[in-house]
Amino acid sequence: MTSIRGAGKTSWGRGLCAAIAMTAAMGGGHAFAQTEITMWSNWPDEPAKKEWVTARVKEFEAANKQCTVKLSFIPKADIYTQAKSAVRTGQAPDIFYMEPDQPEFLAGGFLEPLDGYIDLNGLEDWAKPAWTSKGKVYGVPVEAYTVELYYNKDLVKKVGVDVPASFQLTQAQFTDLVKKGVAAGITPVSQGVGDRPFPGGQLLFESLLRKLGPDDYMKLLNGELSFKDPRVQEVMTFVKELVDAGAYPKSFSTLKLGESHFYFYNSPGALTFPDPSWFTGRAFAAPEKGGMPANFPLGIMKFPAMDKGACPNCKTLAVAGSFVMYSKGKNKDCAGALLKSMANAENGTKWISEVSLQSGLKSDPAKIVSPHKAYFDELNARNKDVTYFFGTPLLYYRAKCAETYIQVMNNAFPAGLISVADAAEKMDAACLKK
Amino acid sequence: MPDAISLRTTAKSGEAKASSRATLADPRRATRLVLAIFLGPALLVYCGLTAYPAFRTIYDSFFTIEGMDATFVGLANYRDLMGDETFWVAVRNTFIWSFVAPVIDVATGLLLALALYAGVPFARFLRVAWFTPVLLSYVVVAILWMWIYNYDWGVLNVMLRAVGLGDLASSWLGDPNLALAAVIVTHAWKWAGFNMVVCLAAIHSLPKEVLEASDLDNCGWGAKLRYIIVPMLRPTLLSLYILSFIGKMKVFDLVWIMTQGGPLWATETVSTYVYKRAFNWNTFDLGYPSAIATVWFLVVCAAVIILNRVLGSRERLEY
Repeated sequence: MTSIRGAGKTSWGRGLCAAIAMTAAMGGGHAFAQTEITMWSNWPDEPAKKEWVTARVKEFEAANKQCTVKLSFIPKADIYTQAKSAVRTGQAPDIFYMEPDQPEFLAGGFLEPLDGYIDLNGLEDWAKPAWTSKGKVYGVPVEAYTVELYYNKDLVKKVGVDVPASFQLTQAQFTDLVKKGVAAGITPVSQGVGDRPFPGGQLLFESLLRKLGPDDYMKLLNGELSFKDPRVQEVMTFVKELVDAGAYPKSFSTLKLGESHFYFYNSPGALTFPDPSWFTGRAFAAPEKGGMPANFPLGIMKFPAMDKGACPNCKTLAVAGSFVMYSKGKNKDCAGALLKSMANAENGTKWISEVSLQSGLKSDPAKIVSPHKAYFDELNARNKDVTYFFGTPLLYYRAKCAETYIQVMNNAFPAGLISVADAAEKMDAACLKK
Repeated sequence: MPDAISLRTTAKSGEAKASSRATLADPRRATRLVLAIFLGPALLVYCGLTAYPAFRTIYDSFFTIEGMDATFVGLANYRDLMGDETFWVAVRNTFIWSFVAPVIDVATGLLLALALYAGVPFARFLRVAWFTPVLLSYVVVAILWMWIYNYDWGVLNVMLRAVGLGDLASSWLGDPNLALAAVIVTHAWKWAGFNMVVCLAAIHSLPKEVLEASDLDNCGWGAKLRYIIVPMLRPTLLSLYILSFIGKMKVFDLVWIMTQGGPLWATETVSTYVYKRAFNWNTFDLGYPSAIATVWFLVVCAAVIILNRVLGSRERLEY
C-alpha cells in the first residue's frame, strides 16, 4: 500500500512537474522570447506622420511576434530634453526621434551605428551624410525637406503682381510685392517665431544662399566669412527694407508655427509663407482640424533672385525627422530589426504618398499615389534643375552662435528691433572664427 | 500586606515606566535610537533629494563633463562666467524682477486685502476670484496672458483700440523695452491673491482697541493706513517681500513659456540661462551650468541675509 501510494504520489508529482514544465515552456517561453522595446516619436499633432509611424510599427509587430513596441508620440522639444537626461542614466528608449542638428548625442557616444542593422541601400545617397560620422551611419532619415516659398495665387494677383513663368521674382519685384501688400492691408509674409528657433531667418538666409553661392554660404555658416562682407550686408539691407516696409505680421515675435499656417491660409491671410516643405504636415490636415481649405489657391514660387547673385537656382535641402538607436539599449536586436523594417524604398514611397513630403528613404516615383498630386507636381517643378545646399543654419551653428542666431537673426532682425550693423556685429562676435 | 521592600520595588518600577513614558513624550529626553528612528526617514529624503544634488552641483562646477567623461578644470568655469555677457544680462534682469516685482506683489496684495477689510460689495466673491490665479499652474497663466498680450486679437490691444488709443497697442512680449515688464505684471497677477490672503489675516489679527482708538480720534483712512496699519503689518509685509524676493530670484516657468528669455535676451533670467546652457547648448556639459547655479545659490543666500538685516526692525511692537 505504502509503496503503491508512494508510487501513485510519485506518478502524480511527475505529472505535475511535467505540466509545470510544459506551461513554462509555452507561457514562460513565450514571455521570455517576447521583447518589448520603447520608441519615442515626434509628431503628436501631425496626423499623417503619426499614422505613418504607427503603421510601420504595427507591420513590424505583426511580422516579428517576438518583439513588441511601446510607442509614444512626444513633442520634439520634450524628446530632446528628456533624452538628454535619460541617455546619461541608461533610461533612454531603444529608438528615439532625432534631427541632425543635435550632434551632441552622437559626440557623446549615445547613438548606435546602424550599418550592421539596416540596409543602407534603402537610404537616399544625399541623405546619408546628415547622419554619417567616421564612416558609420547613425540615423534613419525618414523626413527630408526643401525650403519653399508658398504663396496665395489670388491675393498676389489681387495686389497687382504677376508671378513670372520662371516663378522667381527679382529683388525689386519682391520688394514691390511686399509694398503692394502693405498698401492693400494684406500681410506680405506670414511668419512667426513664438515657438520655433528658425522661421525668422528663412527669408534672409535663403537670400544669402542665392547671393553668395554654396561655397561662400558654407563659409558664412562655418564662421569663416564675416557678416560684414559687403555681399552679406547688401542682402541684409534688402531684408531690412522689407521688414521696415511691414513685411511680417505685427505679432511676429509671439506667433507660433501652427498659428502662422492658419494666418496664411485662413485668417487674416497673407501673400506668402516661407516654410520648409513639411508645410504639408499641417496644411493637408482636415480643414476642421486647422488644415488648409480645400479650394485654397496655393502656389509655390522660388525665393527672389538676388541682384548679381552667384546662384539664383540654389535651394536648401535638409534632413529632419529621423530615428536613432540608443547605444546602451538592452534590446538592440529588436530595435535594429524595427529600423531595418522601416528603412526601405517601399516605406519611402508610402511616406511621400501619405505625408506629401520628401523623404531621406529611397522611393519609387512611379508608385506614389497621393490625393495631392497637383501639389507634388508643382513642388517637383520648383525643384527641377536646382542646386541643393545641404542643411539649414542651425545644422551648422552651435552653442552661443546658435543662441545668437535664434535671438538676433530669427527674432530681433526680422522683427525690426535691430539694425543691419548691430545684427552683423552680434553674429560675428558669436560665430566668426578668429 | 506588602512589606517595605516590595513597596520600594513597586515604586521604582513605577518611576521607570513613568520615566520611559516621559522620554517618549518629551523629545528632549529621547534616546538617540528613538531620535534616529523618527528623524532617519526625513533626513534620508533631505539628504537624497536636497543635500546631495546641491553638493553634487557644486562638485560638478569644477569639471567639464562631455558624455560620460568628466575632466577637472578647477575654477575655469567660474572664470568664463565672469566674462559671459549673457550671464550678466540675465543677472541684471533677475535683480530687476527680484527687487521691483515683490514691491508690486505686496502692494497689490495689501490693497486687495484692505478692500476686502473695508467691506467692498461682493467681498466673498471677490476674495475667491482674486485668489483663484494662485491655484492656476504657470502654464495656464502664461498661455492666458499670451492671449491677452497678443498684438492682433489680444484683449489689451483690443481695449486700447476701442477707446481710441490704438497707437499704444504694442507687441507686449515682442518689444525688448516692454517684454520684461509684461512678464512681471503677469507674475504679479498670479501671486496677488496669495499676498492678499496673508495680509487680510494679518489685518484681522490687529488689536481692535488701537483701530477703535484711531476712529475716536477722527483718524481718516489714509492716516490710519499710513500710521497704524502698515507699521503694525510691517513684519508680515517684510516676510512676504522676502518670500517673493526668493521666488523671483529663481523665476523660470513663466519666462520660459512666454518668451524663452527673448526678445534679444530682454527677459533672460539666471534660471532660464542655466536651463539653456544645460539642455539647449548642443552639449552635455553640466559643469558650466553647475557653476552658474552655484554662484546664484550663494547670491540668493547673501541677498536674503542682507535683506533681513537691512529691512528687519530692531524695535518690537507689543500689542
